[in-house]
Amino acid sequence: MSGLKVPRDILAVVSNELGVFRRNRSAILISLIVIPFFFTVSLGAGQGSAATFQPTAALPIAFVDNDLSVASGRLYETLVRSEMFNRLIQGYREDNALAALGKGSIYAAVVIPKGFQDRLMHNQPGTIIVYVDDGAPGVGNAVLSAVNATVQTYNPSTEITTSAYVEVAGFSTIQVVLKGTRFSGFALGLTITMSLVIVFATFYEIAGGMSREREEGTYARLLVSPVSLGAIMIGKTLYDLGLNFVRVIVVLGLAIYVYGVRLNTDFVTLLAGAVLIALLTMGFGLLISSLGVGLRAVVIIEFFLILFLFAFSGFILDKELMKGIPQIIATYLPWSYGIEILKRTILSGTPLLSLTSQLQFVGFSIVLFYALSYIFLKLARERLLK
Amino acid sequence: MNPLIRDSTAIAKKDLKQLRRDPLSLALTIMFPILLISMFIVISGAFRDSHAVPIVIADQDGSAQSKMFIDELTVSKLIRVAQLVQTEERALETVQAGEAIGSVVIPKDFGNKLLNGRAAFVVLQTDNSKVTASFTVIRAVADKSRELLNKLNVQFNVRLVSVDVVPRPVSGRPPNGDFILPGMLGLITILGGFDDAVNAITRERERGTFTRLVLTPMNLFSIYGGKMAAALVVNAMRTAFVLMIFVFNGLVIQGSILLIFLITSLISMFTMSLSMMMSSRIQSSATLTIMEIAITFPLFQLSGAFSAPEMLPAGGRAISRALPWTWGNEALRRVMYLGLDLNAISPDILVLVVSIMIFLPLATLLSKRTM
Repeated sequence: MSGLKVPRDILAVVSNELGVFRRNRSAILISLIVIPFFFTVSLGAGQGSAATFQPTAALPIAFVDNDLSVASGRLYETLVRSEMFNRLIQGYREDNALAALGKGSIYAAVVIPKGFQDRLMHNQPGTIIVYVDDGAPGVGNAVLSAVNATVQTYNPSTEITTSAYVEVAGFSTIQVVLKGTRFSGFALGLTITMSLVIVFATFYEIAGGMSREREEGTYARLLVSPVSLGAIMIGKTLYDLGLNFVRVIVVLGLAIYVYGVRLNTDFVTLLAGAVLIALLTMGFGLLISSLGVGLRAVVIIEFFLILFLFAFSGFILDKELMKGIPQIIATYLPWSYGIEILKRTILSGTPLLSLTSQLQFVGFSIVLFYALSYIFLKLARERLLK
Repeated sequence: MNPLIRDSTAIAKKDLKQLRRDPLSLALTIMFPILLISMFIVISGAFRDSHAVPIVIADQDGSAQSKMFIDELTVSKLIRVAQLVQTEERALETVQAGEAIGSVVIPKDFGNKLLNGRAAFVVLQTDNSKVTASFTVIRAVADKSRELLNKLNVQFNVRLVSVDVVPRPVSGRPPNGDFILPGMLGLITILGGFDDAVNAITRERERGTFTRLVLTPMNLFSIYGGKMAAALVVNAMRTAFVLMIFVFNGLVIQGSILLIFLITSLISMFTMSLSMMMSSRIQSSATLTIMEIAITFPLFQLSGAFSAPEMLPAGGRAISRALPWTWGNEALRRVMYLGLDLNAISPDILVLVVSIMIFLPLATLLSKRTM
């Protein structure tokens, strides 16, 4: 019978947690439906579907041609054919375009100055001026990047071609041929959204749940019960893994069936990646709650944890771009390895087991978090028993 | 004195006193703008400063021109040549194994083509699962290709098709500068507004004092009005604090400071109205805060804080335009960067005022029903 005690205790903790969860309708709604649904739909709204989305395509942009030459006409055609500028408007004068900028009718103006063709014909760089409405965030960078990328394929002397590789007779050029799978904004965002949903909900469920129990007085009763600490921790972990399974299914279901995302990995690998991030967060949640913090503090820690992850774990900025203290933080932040595992498996199709260093770091962190939580909970239990 | 104003003032004073006695809430009100701005500085600093994204190069040409190109790539501040490999396959393997973010393959005949006025090419394979790092590599290789051509033009007089793009932002700010600062002020106002509402209503409910407050002779509008007034004082302090940080960091505010305070006050009032509506359904302050944090994160993308609504896909654009916060953030940006006056931002102000006029009475009504 004693051999069955631990699994029985674990089962008791799991069913207790599920019972509490079932009685709280708003918790079910927020945890399983609202958070995964809301985050995934927001991603879809921001990034479009699985097809590649060009942010400058729908921007109204004035094209002011002060040169009126064949070369400037070909530059206009090059911009239009790039499909990065589907709303390039001709007919503006430079002063009109400048007056309209900042008012919302146009967001940039590409101005071809007089003498553009002459300069090119005399082996000098042609100059174009791009006025941007920097009252609209991100527009300047997006327009300038798109214009810079497009002028690389510009050919003033022969017929315009839509092929990526352009032969420009008589001129030396270097074409950078890009290889490597291109991912849509939604596919890239999916790994971030999934991690965010897991961390966001899991941390609150574990740390918040225990803090609530402490405030309601049931925490002390649980600690001094004959159930072992290990069984309590495993029980809570299993319960939350179950909830995370549902959340992953909701996010994936929406991503695949509504937004048309194609995964480059199998479901088991994806689930394993999600489980690693969930375990990491649960370990951290248990550690925080074992320190005896209140519910309000848990909410505050959660907010800063998410902000921290946004800044340092590769959510937005890859850690290769960091240096100094941010780089050190990113190097030792275990979530950044978890997110890398999700990215490399879901997007690049890398086999999970080949990511040994990432798996080792995440595994070590999970063990460390759980071990520390165990020690602190044990100390709390001993204090209570005294 | 009008009883409505008198009662509201009393409630506002009470709430401000309560906040002064709660050091955690007070610290949070002050700390979270600092933390948000610090993180922004880290993120934007990474884009501005030099960094060393690892790449590998396979030179199959071995010409003087390909060596010049490798030299150019080696001195780039954006990338770091981690390895020179022999074959294209090895270069690709390095990227696939995650040892480098990009591989540059210089094919045979590269130098010959350049010297003979023909189009040469290089193959650049990037690990696109790392968006910002791969983008940095692409940018660095494109820049260095141009620089190589310019050098060849000087040394060997090769003919070039070179078009220089000169950026001219309307406000005169550098395009890579602090374009998200007004949006950040907007987001801090939104987060602060949500937190103020939780402090003012839900926590009062949890302490059990809200019922007592409702049972006093004051009417519900005075209570909500007073709470809103206290939150607006806190919001004004927060706005002043954030603006001071911005100015110390070198931001030149083009427009009227008073207009900025008016806009953040309206954003805060709208956010509080929405939060009050939600608090009539969600009674726990912790759950409500979590819910509000969950709402706020997608707003980073959808409220026009960090990217203009016009750059979103059609569905996202519609959602973004339907959010009063987007109008507030847009107004903030136009005042702070372009120095526009009240007249120019009146549509944005109108949207915020109308939204408050709809949501605030609704919040009061729903709150009444739950009592």
